[in-house]
Amino acid sequence: MLIADLANSGSMPVLERALSFAAARQRSLVHNIANIDTPDFRMQDVSLKDFRASLREAVEARREGRVAGGGVEATTAKDSGNILYHDRNNRSVEGLMQDLAENALAYRLTTDLIRRETDILRTAISQRV
Amino acid sequence: MYGLLDISTSGMIAQRERMTAISANLANRTSTHADGTPFRAKRVFFAPGDPTATTAAGRKLGVHVARIDDDPSAFTYRHDPTHPHAIKSGKHAGQVAESNVNPVAEQINAIQASRAYEANVVAAEATKMMMAQALRLLA
Repeated sequence: MLIADLANSGSMPVLERALSFAAARQRSLVHNIANIDTPDFRMQDVSLKDFRASLREAVEARREGRVAGGGVEATTAKDSGNILYHDRNNRSVEGLMQDLAENALAYRLTTDLIRRETDILRTAISQRV
Repeated sequence: MYGLLDISTSGMIAQRERMTAISANLANRTSTHADGTPFRAKRVFFAPGDPTATTAAGRKLGVHVARIDDDPSAFTYRHDPTHPHAIKSGKHAGQVAESNVNPVAEQINAIQASRAYEANVVAAEATKMMMAQALRLLA
């Protein structure tokens, strides 16, 4: 119980959500890159609306002292603004690579923040300053 | 997170299959079957999803080779009346049918396949880095 309380305190639930969002986004990006030459393929992305909802749920669950569930689903992005090529694929290599780099940075930021959080806990446990 | 590498791998496998078809097309540019019909170029068609994946979620993601078809475009003809396969009569009399492989188009396809393969490798590298960062949380 003590461990669960520690793991669900502070900004941990929010960070956990952000981490799983970045992982879900990576899945979409990797899927888009694998299908870069597939005819009739439309690029996917994860829904920001779902992410906000799941973030809100995580914060509320922390306030109420319970563990939040759920995640984000990949959806086909509507009207991505990309050119539809002759094979009816709306690929955008540059956009994909930019998203891949940004997502890797977001994931890294989140893992760093989680580590900072656990470091604070560790400092408190060891009673050192 | 681990399934992500499978998606990139499916992309690499599909691009490699395409490269195999391109190599076969170029190698058989002047090949004919025993009856004199020339070789037809092979075309690889991709479709989203990976039927080899073990989970239902995994089967939806990735890419696979849906089919490999013969290119239906017309053969090319070369004037060579003494050739044993030379056409006797009609529009192409005195000519020999040759395969419909277009070396320039095949080269372009080969470049495209190798760049797409590279893109999958870059994606797998990015995923690997993310996995390493997540694993470092344990230490």
